[in-house]
Amino acid sequence: MTSLALTRDRIARVRPGPALAALLIAAFLLLFLVVPVVQVIFVAFQDKTTGAFTLVNFADFFRNDLFMRSFGNSVYVSAMSVVVASLLALPLAYLTTRFEFRGAVLIQSLGIIPLIMPPFIGAVAMQLLFGRNGSVNLLLRDHFGFSIPFMEGLNGVIFVQSIHYFPFILINLSASLKNIDRAMEESAQNLGCHGFRLFRRIVFPLAMPGYVAGASLVFIKVFDDLGTPLLLNVNDMLAPQAYLRISSIGIADPMGYVISVVLIACSLLALWVSALAMRGKDYATVQRGGGGLARRRMKPLELVAAYAVVLLILVLVLAPHIGLGLLSFATIWSFSPLPDAFTLKHYHTVFTESGQYITNTLLYASLAALLDVVIGTAIAYLVLRTKLPGRQWLDYVAMAALAVPGVVLGIGYLRSFYGVPMPFSGQPLSNFWLILVFALAIRRLPYALRACTAALQQVSSSLEEAAENLGATKLRTVGRIVVPLMSGGILAGFVTSFATAAVELSATIMLVHSQSDAPLAYGLYVYMQSAAGRGPGAALGIFAVIIVGLGTYLSHVVIERGRRERGQDH
Amino acid sequence: MLRTTRTLRNAAAALAVLLLSGATAFAQDASGKLVIVTSFPKDLTTAFQQAFQKAHPQVTVEILNRNTNAGVKYLQETASNNGVDLFWASAPDAFEVLKSAKLLQPYKPKVEGIPEKVGAYPVNDPEGMYSGFAASGYGIMWNTRYMKANDLPAPKEWADLTKPAYYDHVAISAPSRSGTTHLTIETILQGEGWEKGWRTNKEMAGNYRTITERSFGVPDGVNSGAFGVGIVIDFFALSSQASGFPVEFVYPTVTTIVPANIGVVKNAPNKAAAETFVDFLLSPKGQEVLLEPAIRRLPVNPATYEKAPAGYPNPFKDKSLGAQVNFDVEVSQARYNVVDALFDQLITFQLDDLKAATKAIQQGEAALAKKPNDKAKALLAEARDLVAAMPVTAEQAADPQLAGAFTVERKSAKDAVPERQAQVEQKWAAFAKENYAAARKKADEAMALVR
Amino acid sequence: MKTTDRASEGNPIMNHQFSPAALAPRIESVGVDIEGVNLSYGSNHVLKDVNLAIRPGEFFAFLGPSGCGKTTLLRLIAGFNTAQQGEVRIGGRDISVLPPHRRDVGMVFQSYALWPHMTVRRNVAFGLEERRVPRAEIERRVDAALDLVGLKHLADRRPSQLSGGQQQRVALARTVVIEPKILLLDEPLSNLDAKLRVQMRQELLSLQRKLGLTTIFVTHDQEEANTICDRIAVMDDGRVQQVGTPQDLYDHPANLFVAGFLGTANVLDGTVQGGDGGSVFVGAGITPVALPPSVAPGAAGKLMFRPQNLIIRQDGTPPAPGHARLAGRIRHREFLGASIRYAVDVGGQLVQVDAPHQAGDALLAPDAPIILDLAADKARFLSR
Repeated sequence: MTSLALTRDRIARVRPGPALAALLIAAFLLLFLVVPVVQVIFVAFQDKTTGAFTLVNFADFFRNDLFMRSFGNSVYVSAMSVVVASLLALPLAYLTTRFEFRGAVLIQSLGIIPLIMPPFIGAVAMQLLFGRNGSVNLLLRDHFGFSIPFMEGLNGVIFVQSIHYFPFILINLSASLKNIDRAMEESAQNLGCHGFRLFRRIVFPLAMPGYVAGASLVFIKVFDDLGTPLLLNVNDMLAPQAYLRISSIGIADPMGYVISVVLIACSLLALWVSALAMRGKDYATVQRGGGGLARRRMKPLELVAAYAVVLLILVLVLAPHIGLGLLSFATIWSFSPLPDAFTLKHYHTVFTESGQYITNTLLYASLAALLDVVIGTAIAYLVLRTKLPGRQWLDYVAMAALAVPGVVLGIGYLRSFYGVPMPFSGQPLSNFWLILVFALAIRRLPYALRACTAALQQVSSSLEEAAENLGATKLRTVGRIVVPLMSGGILAGFVTSFATAAVELSATIMLVHSQSDAPLAYGLYVYMQSAAGRGPGAALGIFAVIIVGLGTYLSHVVIERGRRERGQDH
Repeated sequence: MLRTTRTLRNAAAALAVLLLSGATAFAQDASGKLVIVTSFPKDLTTAFQQAFQKAHPQVTVEILNRNTNAGVKYLQETASNNGVDLFWASAPDAFEVLKSAKLLQPYKPKVEGIPEKVGAYPVNDPEGMYSGFAASGYGIMWNTRYMKANDLPAPKEWADLTKPAYYDHVAISAPSRSGTTHLTIETILQGEGWEKGWRTNKEMAGNYRTITERSFGVPDGVNSGAFGVGIVIDFFALSSQASGFPVEFVYPTVTTIVPANIGVVKNAPNKAAAETFVDFLLSPKGQEVLLEPAIRRLPVNPATYEKAPAGYPNPFKDKSLGAQVNFDVEVSQARYNVVDALFDQLITFQLDDLKAATKAIQQGEAALAKKPNDKAKALLAEARDLVAAMPVTAEQAADPQLAGAFTVERKSAKDAVPERQAQVEQKWAAFAKENYAAARKKADEAMALVR
Repeated sequence: MKTTDRASEGNPIMNHQFSPAALAPRIESVGVDIEGVNLSYGSNHVLKDVNLAIRPGEFFAFLGPSGCGKTTLLRLIAGFNTAQQGEVRIGGRDISVLPPHRRDVGMVFQSYALWPHMTVRRNVAFGLEERRVPRAEIERRVDAALDLVGLKHLADRRPSQLSGGQQQRVALARTVVIEPKILLLDEPLSNLDAKLRVQMRQELLSLQRKLGLTTIFVTHDQEEANTICDRIAVMDDGRVQQVGTPQDLYDHPANLFVAGFLGTANVLDGTVQGGDGGSVFVGAGITPVALPPSVAPGAAGKLMFRPQNLIIRQDGTPPAPGHARLAGRIRHREFLGASIRYAVDVGGQLVQVDAPHQAGDALLAPDAPIILDLAADKARFLSR
């Protein structure tokens, strides 16, 4: 074992290939992640008048009631979103992995759909359905004389965010539940445990790593998200405060940058806490016996209850899509449970004037996702299969992008690249559409990287050694053995990156330079700024959902086919 | 693939243009790419873009949509390597900021027949840095279905919105976020005076349901019926109406008709095209675009009103429109940031406390009307004064020292270090919080007397 | 990587003998009766009319190739599978309707199924906690159980910090601590290396003997079953093929499957013909073999005998009375040390022959002709 590792070590040291790849990736991360973010952080530590280093800005932050309230609200909203998202995800994950349940596949895929819609568009639809004078409350008031404050203040943010982000918990928790050795549960039953106690004492603790991973992601995303609170007019949260500060006119105030730093710090803290909670608890890899939890058939009454719960959750989860769909066909929808009449003209409008948004989005998102999986695979390989000094840092830095809010990255790019003219045209570099692709790629890199790392971990290194033993070079081994075996994970990473990049707004809005270069999310935002634009905006949103949904579905089919061909079915 | 074809197409077009311009050496007509940063909605920009490109097919218009403040910020951030030709937005203040930052260059439009003033407001910048192309006034918009369902009367004046009936039904956007709202607030301050103006603003604010981040958030909410009444710029209401929403709009007496403007950016890469665009905007053809249902802005060319539909507001005929207030741009400019910050700290971020105090006062007054009591009356008056109290006077607000806390650029003023913005804001917020709590207490005391 | 060093792991076990006295007084041993059990998954008929009677205190094995239904049967007893027909009685009581957690049937899983989020002590205490045993008694019994398997010093470790053998012992302790009525072992030794496996099976046996616990042991390894089990049920294709002591099964296999599964069997095709003294087996390359009277002429079947039943005759003497003679040609040979195994072509069928080996003995050459004698009473005629 040891001697083998040594040989590999020596090979890695004499081969320039991995080192070169590592250097290229390091340069990319430095240029497009570290430098822009440092540019922003720098201002937070500068004295406004003298430019000297100071911490007084942070003292101001912690002395300011509004900021402290925003801070509290952000923590509260993020934590509550995790709670509500868990309530949505737990039954779905448990039912589909634990019971024989028709439509389990449907639930699992429907669970992905919220992710492919920009949350700020979801907020518009949710306001129409669940707002104080939305469909639900109008009907409730008319028939029962009361209304439910779904969307009042912070409630609205929690509601929209938890519906949007709960798939993070669902996906991770389901995977965890599926990976539990069925004997774990059976041995507990054998020793006299059953029912909810069984879930509480054995199943949930074993699924904990997946749950914590999902929950911390939800926490971070909600903490950083800008669009939803802005659209719901909730200002006293940290991300909106940062945005308002930074984008406000004539204010060279460092507080916006201070808030950015606080945002980054909090995200890092959340990641760290979750890493700490999961240390030494990667149970899935500890033992492998049977294939997942035993699926039980439900009794008729249980079945009815289960269907009721699942339907209720599905309706909630699909509410933004339903609302958006209605809006896209609506003539006028004002203070009434349903639109006055329906029309197709919004789709016509979108077809005739917004084609470039769609083609741009496809181009940008697929380029960004491609970049992500290439870099993700490379980093995963460098970290897991070479002994390159400092290779872990590539992983850390790439993952750190998770903690950088989109607005911060956008501002950083503007600050870093505006002064750099492009060759030939002399246009600023930050106007170049490829910069937008880089921003999207950096934002989504963590997801792709994790997918690629997980995929590579499942490829036994003896398979590579066998190829090398038969005379393949390292590069050809990677190309012919490693990458094909990782293809499922790589494709999963590609899809996640593609789907989420396609609907990204926060970095996009800072960087779009001209309409002809603008992606879909920007188009949505622009449409939503005028009375006549709501319908077409909704129609464009539906397009976004369909495009990304189709892409996701197709790649799912491809992954499944590949898996079957390789005989990895279960 | 797609990208390549487009690039090729562009290159071919550029080549053709190059050849053409070489052939017709020094031809007057503009060509090439024209980049415009604007806060206007797509409905407006697309209409003008199409009309302009029809008239000047050699020019490709690129529209960059930013809200006013972000647009200004964008120009400031990118000034070192400017790629923008025109800045096109409503709020004159934004242009003042750009002007003082020396980010604009003068241009005198060639179009004749544009009056000096619309309402009491000059159409063009005296130094010619920017020109007005359409007029807009501020007013009140409401959703008729909502009003009917909640049994609310149609408002006419700002003061109407301070009535208890409107509690929790009104919305506005934050002046710090919306240049147009800032003008509304500033108009009320100038029209009614600093103290009284703030009192009106705060008494209206006591009835606010929400304070939106985007100016479009207000008409959007009124259109969908999320709230009943909104304080908006006229074209939001007029275009919503034209789109079929059940909404109506009124100009209160205290309002300003101000021009929406366009200005050529300093070092514009395509100056010629930029100037052609400005002239097109002011030409009869351009002015007519303003009448389109999805746009509905007031033309600055009086002749255009002949083509307007019946009932279209005409500030050049209806002399009462916007004539009440003599809007002073200098005063507005001096306290721009201070007014925004005051509104944010006293109203936006303290809305819950302010509403609680307002509710208590309104309930107290309702009870008082049924059961008169001098002591309670005095208490309620004190409570109202507490709500209305301001931490700074008009003079202090205009003091460059205070304004400095908001505008000082890094590394510029080494000698006079004003208070940091964060400190000032914290002081104001604490002031408001304390006063609103005290007002609520007094109102509750009064309530106890008249219950 | 496991923290415990593998080399040292043998030590505590080697010196340790399970001491059941430490555990609480034994409850009475009970028997298990399985009657008319049929179980299928959809169209897949997994258990076919299984009938078994396991005696109290017996160490019993389910032996068979993978897919024979032995694990399914074990899980049926534990309650993780439900049979469509038949019943399972433990100590005379039908438990078919009881859910797994109420059966009081201790099971040790093939993967041990130790919960990674609990320490060894918490793992072992789990079943007692579920039974609402008082805290003090739990501690006492957990200590006793860990003592029994010699792991008291590792009580606060996590399962991932233990070696395979130690995990196995924890799993055992966790199961016996609840004093189950019977003990089920699902291939408990399959995850251990060869040396440890031999040692663990003796320890299992000694533990079972001392606790007097009726134990069912599932395995596909005949040597494992032969060495420690009182009786074995050989299973194939969802059916119990034969039940008996290891020796019984080897010497008197009921059918060809049992004969082939336990040890090496030579099987010859041929016919049964009537003769003077009764039926005889007639096949190619072999002189007629007298069969017991129970076999009627014309019966279909095969002749089965073990490699060691054949005696090589190179001296030309005729066969001794009661012996049949086979003539063939050596195809190849394997040197096994104590013996040499020749594969001999007899009338077109391969027959294995074991010849004892002494130093200095010459080996027969491949392709050489060979004469073999078979004592008729050692051969068995098996109809299936």
